[in-house]
Amino acid sequence: MLNYIKKFAVLGAATAAGATIGLGSFDAKPAHAGGTLVWAIPAAMSLFDPPQSCGWLTKNATHMIFDGLVELELGKPEAPWAVLKPALAESWTVSDDGLVYTFNLRKGVKFHDGTPFDATVAKWNYDRFQDPTAPQFSKTGAAFLDFYARWIAKTEVVDANTFRVTLKEPNYEWLQVGQSSCGQPEMISPAAFAKWGEKDIALHPVGTGPFKFVEREIDVKVVLERNDDYYGTPAKLDRLIFRQITDPATRIAALRAGEVNMVTEPPWDEIENLVGEGFQLQLQPNVPSVWYAQFNMKSPAVKDVRVRKAINMAIDREGVAKEVLKGTGKAEAGILSAGTFAYDANLKRYPYDPEGAKKLLKEAGYENGLEVTFDIFDYGWNEAWEKWLQRDLKKVGVDVKLNKLEWMTYLGKWLQGMPEDVAMDSMGWGWSVPYWTAHATRCDHHPPNGINGGWYCNKKVDELYAQAIKTQDHAKAAAFYREADRIIMEEDVAFLPVFSYHNPILLAANVKGFVNGQENWYDFTLPSVE
Amino acid sequence: MTRFIVIRLLMIIPIMLGVSFFVFILAHLAPGDVTTTLTGPYATEEVREQLRETLGLNLPLPVQYGRWLGQMLQGEFGTSIANRRMVSELIFPKFASSAILALTSAALAYTIGLLVGIFAAARPYRSFDRISLAVTLMFGSMPPYWLGLLLVLLFSLTWRWLPATGMTKIIDGGGAVDVLAHLVLPTIAAAAAPAAIIARTVRATMLEILNQNYIKVARAKGIRRNVILRKHALRNALPPIATICGLQLGYLLGGVLFVEVIFAWPGIGYQLWQAIQARDIPTIQGASLIVAIAFVLVNLAVDVFNAYTDPKIRISEGARAR
Repeated sequence: MLNYIKKFAVLGAATAAGATIGLGSFDAKPAHAGGTLVWAIPAAMSLFDPPQSCGWLTKNATHMIFDGLVELELGKPEAPWAVLKPALAESWTVSDDGLVYTFNLRKGVKFHDGTPFDATVAKWNYDRFQDPTAPQFSKTGAAFLDFYARWIAKTEVVDANTFRVTLKEPNYEWLQVGQSSCGQPEMISPAAFAKWGEKDIALHPVGTGPFKFVEREIDVKVVLERNDDYYGTPAKLDRLIFRQITDPATRIAALRAGEVNMVTEPPWDEIENLVGEGFQLQLQPNVPSVWYAQFNMKSPAVKDVRVRKAINMAIDREGVAKEVLKGTGKAEAGILSAGTFAYDANLKRYPYDPEGAKKLLKEAGYENGLEVTFDIFDYGWNEAWEKWLQRDLKKVGVDVKLNKLEWMTYLGKWLQGMPEDVAMDSMGWGWSVPYWTAHATRCDHHPPNGINGGWYCNKKVDELYAQAIKTQDHAKAAAFYREADRIIMEEDVAFLPVFSYHNPILLAANVKGFVNGQENWYDFTLPSVE
Repeated sequence: MTRFIVIRLLMIIPIMLGVSFFVFILAHLAPGDVTTTLTGPYATEEVREQLRETLGLNLPLPVQYGRWLGQMLQGEFGTSIANRRMVSELIFPKFASSAILALTSAALAYTIGLLVGIFAAARPYRSFDRISLAVTLMFGSMPPYWLGLLLVLLFSLTWRWLPATGMTKIIDGGGAVDVLAHLVLPTIAAAAAPAAIIARTVRATMLEILNQNYIKVARAKGIRRNVILRKHALRNALPPIATICGLQLGYLLGGVLFVEVIFAWPGIGYQLWQAIQARDIPTIQGASLIVAIAFVLVNLAVDVFNAYTDPKIRISEGARAR
């Protein structure tokens, strides 16, 4: 079938010039010199109010409309991880004790509605998610940004262009922890908030970013246009359009028909054909997320560490990367993800060893087999690797019942932590700093106080995290994280990491300068469309 | 006739109440809580509970339903929980998009279905009839998403005659010509199965009528076949044909979800699906209700049409009403 598609596409390209019936052109031609980039996004976006925004896709729009004090450098794709670069703060300092962050703000910056930005506005925005006494305080914004705000002791306006944040305890990763997608400490216009209020501010997004909000048709499209008054290097594109197309085949058809010029989450089997047809493929090996299953420490089925170890040994991770992901991912055996300074790309752990796994299961008393329930969610493509796991585990005598849940149902269950009858559940996540692993594993992050839904707890590991965030030297901090990862994966075996995903992006030939950076959101000031 | 229409219109009220109640119950029975996406993974249960209180989701279900009903009686669909837009702002444009697609698909399906059915019945068991039986069976069984993909492959990607996705061009789109160009493929994909169903129904009904004694008498009297078909057979076949046509239009108005997804057509079916995934209960309620109202009104129109064309129905309905 794919060969036919390719043949048809080539034939189509050859006949396209002559074959018109007067219904008008439908190619995504740029309106002006900088052009219009149309990205076929695979799912819906959330609210356009940074503290209440959540999700990778949404961040792609919000971080172009709004700016934070700092942002990730996403224009250098060869770097092993993204570092911070100035945004609304042109520079910043951290006190020697790691407690006081002082930001020197840019002068003369204005929001899209003309409201000037200064330290008072910065404090107003920070108070919105961390000071419950502030009139603009947002309960839901504070809930989203809790991972960031929980560290803050106080915020101060030093002078019109200097803003200071004091932490409760030292944390050298704190600033970059804020570069997450679920809860974003970016600045909105207080004047817009005064006009629209908490209820409607998300419908009228006004920031200082390189693009201005134009329109949003829910579940259809979002349109942004270049902000010519941007304080930094202006975007090349005239317009940036996010067009929601949930079906993968339709996204690819739209790309081939020239109706969109950027596609993410392509069907892996199609990538080779599309490249052959002239579309550009960009991969990024250092995306900070890892796809994994977390074991439930309360589950009788996997309470024996030998069982958890056997399950890790029974999985052919290289096979997943090669056969399922078709080279768009890499086998992983730790939960420290790529794209962070603590990641060890050469780590070798749990090579595929079904015989060793069988032996361990026998020692644990499961020579006659074992049944486990694995909660998974519908993400369009993830069932492929989860079924691979199921097949591999069947070979060593572990019967896996895949309990597939629709996303909202899954999320609600996942946030409550696993009940005893579930042996493991799945997720793909990470941050550009290694402290994310603490979020997933710390003893005090058991639900409802965090996302450690497998009820894992090891005080030694918590102590290593505490030391890591107090260490400014990345090499030394990485050593703490790697030791924590070793304990989690070799002594306690609390996870089943499987692969990291390299975010394949397909672009039309006329898209120039796009960079697939070390995140799930991109710097749209860089590309243009010819 | 007026009395008949008024009675049928009044019957819509209990039907709507029933539909809205069942949709409400189903939306609440589904697992998953909208506050998990509205507050994020780090929110405490206290924050979630506060949000439930703000949104009125912690109230007993009958109270929630009563509130919603009260709003509805004032013409308000409420506010979308997930998007913070007025539900009416969300669903009416989407319903309009679905209606455009449904009406063009219905027009195409009716035309093809009636013509094929009548011609097949006029010369039963001849080659046209046999071919049409096979073709309608094929189209009737063809999943619309498969047909949609095939149409896109041929008309959009191979010959580049027609656009593949959307309702208008995404850049500088709009205008009747643009919408028409985008309508062609989804209309064919959505119309194929209804056309086949209507064709087979028309054929079967016409054949049954053509075997009636009064038709044989008409033939014996030497009346021309065309006149028999048009004046005696088709008129008597109209009520069941109108009923099946109305049902098909009702389904099309409900949003042909697969067609909307394959062609990224911004319709009400796709909107409803997205709302269900987000557990956005006000939008689910509003979208379901508008689809249900459309379905009931189309069926009412069919009933009125049948009563108009068939005096037996009018008389029996009138007698029952008295």
